[in-house]
Amino acid sequence: MFEVLIDQFWSLTIAGVALGFIYVLVSLGYTMVYGVLRMINFANSEIFMWGTFGTIITSRDIFGYTQTSAPATGPKLALVLISQLLMSMAVAGLTAVFVEYVAYRRLRAKGTNRLATLISAIGISIVLSELMRLLTDSRPVGSPRVLEKIILGEVWGANLRLDTIVTIFAAAGIYFLLERFVKLSRMGKAIRAVSMNEDAAKLMGVNLNRVITTTFLVGGLATGAAAFFYITVFEYTKFNIGFTMGMAAFTAAVLGGIGNIRGAFYGGLFLGLLEVYASAVLGTQWKAVTVFIVLVLVLLFKPNGLFGEAVQTTRA
Amino acid sequence: MNKKIQRSLAVVSAAALVFGVAAAQTSANAAPKTVYIAYQGPLSGGEASTGTDEQNAVKYAIKLFNAKNKATYNVKLVSVDDQGDPAVAGTVAPGIGKNKAILGLVGAAYSGATIASLPFYKAGGLVMISPSATRVSLTDSASPDFGGPVFHRVVGKDDLQGPALAKYATAGISNAKVFIFDDQSSYAVPLAGYVTGGLKKVAGATVVGTDSVPNTTTDFSPTIAKIKTSGATVVIYTGYYSQAAVFIKQLRDSGSTAIFAGGDGVFNQEFPKLAGASAEGSRVTGVGGLAGVSTKLEADYKKSMGVSSGVYSVESLDAANILLQGIAKGNTTRAKMLAWVKAYNGKSITGNTIKFSANGDISYGLFAGFTTKNGVLVNTGIIK
Repeated sequence: MFEVLIDQFWSLTIAGVALGFIYVLVSLGYTMVYGVLRMINFANSEIFMWGTFGTIITSRDIFGYTQTSAPATGPKLALVLISQLLMSMAVAGLTAVFVEYVAYRRLRAKGTNRLATLISAIGISIVLSELMRLLTDSRPVGSPRVLEKIILGEVWGANLRLDTIVTIFAAAGIYFLLERFVKLSRMGKAIRAVSMNEDAAKLMGVNLNRVITTTFLVGGLATGAAAFFYITVFEYTKFNIGFTMGMAAFTAAVLGGIGNIRGAFYGGLFLGLLEVYASAVLGTQWKAVTVFIVLVLVLLFKPNGLFGEAVQTTRA
Repeated sequence: MNKKIQRSLAVVSAAALVFGVAAAQTSANAAPKTVYIAYQGPLSGGEASTGTDEQNAVKYAIKLFNAKNKATYNVKLVSVDDQGDPAVAGTVAPGIGKNKAILGLVGAAYSGATIASLPFYKAGGLVMISPSATRVSLTDSASPDFGGPVFHRVVGKDDLQGPALAKYATAGISNAKVFIFDDQSSYAVPLAGYVTGGLKKVAGATVVGTDSVPNTTTDFSPTIAKIKTSGATVVIYTGYYSQAAVFIKQLRDSGSTAIFAGGDGVFNQEFPKLAGASAEGSRVTGVGGLAGVSTKLEADYKKSMGVSSGVYSVESLDAANILLQGIAKGNTTRAKMLAWVKAYNGKSITGNTIKFSANGDISYGLFAGFTTKNGVLVNTGIIK
């Protein structure tokens, strides 16, 4: 039963960490919005999906790469990858701002109850995915290979592949940048102030609408970066790809403690590794079962997730 | 929540369709006679690509027919969206079953949705010809799923394909060590079972490992770890082409050179396109897509429909043609249409003779082997 885990432990671990970092970035999209609005941004999964298309369009249509063209090298490689990353973040960030504008802002201004925004968010998420389905004729879309998947070396029998290594380091870098932004910048402080006490923040002169838009934007940027890494590793997207990713990232956010940025970090990594190990030991058919049993167990003992909700503890 | 909303939308749109048809019928003029056939399959939701491809083939057949029989008939298509989901099928099928204006139905695309729809079509005497429902029990008169007398299919059953795939995947490999995995769909799991059964008859072949991976997976690293540990020389996947393309890329990137083989779900020219060089040498069973039948036909299809043909296009065209030929012969009631299909003896566009057994199975069911060469799946002949 454990022979696969023992035999391939380090390959699995590297794959799990890379997947985990993608989850970390997507779950930031959920956790930031929740932290500020106390609402789940159900459209985040589709924001991710739009980001994957942004990534592919950059390499395929702007730089003209095809399935058969040779991977990029040297400065061109850096140029294409960075353009893809920026494009994906821009597409996802703008989509997130759009979602906030259409599905949240007006309802919030009118003071409707939370269920109304829940439905409008689900509505916009269906619109986004069905629109992409119509645009792509329901077909899966493959990404041309820009970054050659060179095996850099071997560590304890596991291949270190360029794309996974890039994903792990770059995603970690983006995570820390965002965390610093929320912790240190003036806007970040405003975001945290609103999440602690909306009314008090307003009285202190914080522009609520601007804070909420920025929160969606930052969550969208993180999700867009995740979409870029996802395409670099898996080279594939489809209109319905957001659902599974959204589910996993939301689970990661809850596991770590939704509303808590550090919770998203540990939750994402934990989930990535758990999925990979569980699939290897029990068979992939048991992956979802294991993940949700672990989630229930965690919530049983720590109802606010592994790291709790930072905001709620300060409230009490 | 999401799915529920989709479901209720499906009900509403199906109702609109049914009433729409009834309204259109009363206003139809005497000549040319307007008649209706239906297509049922997943047209929205996660499985929409299969249904859209099949329905396009049906539309193509109708287009050709209407152009040829302008003076006598005007055939219209009723789209029935079951999302490939038995629960949705159960809500859309009653209206279609009762609407006698619909003479015949191409579908349902999926076996599960077919079983859920059958009671209503049996009650309405509506003949069905499925291009892709391969579950064995559908034509087994001893099974509660038995679809007679209305159910027919123009696709080979799993118990024929499984052994063919086992043989083709291991051809030329002595003492093949085989790893089998499926995508957990109702198409793939039984097929994987028949492949395993088929491997027992291949000398020297052993199954060294299995897995079952949800069809939404994009990270196959655990499965690949298992394949490496098992030392497999042949990997057989029962599932669909898009997942197969994602998987084969990751398998090759991991350094494995094991032979990759898949069933008719993988049989699609999009597979080598999506997977690129990684797909070279992959072995796939299928009855041959449109392009496999004739490149001229595929070109005309693409010109007419605006998109390339997809999975089950040949079967969908054949199924639609059987109904359309029945209409041309004046079988414009359900009872006559059912009798026509039961007694049908004609040619598939592949050249095979189509006849149905008493239980609704197609008379042939030979699978051809295809291998990816230079980015295209090339027919290597019937697997014997």
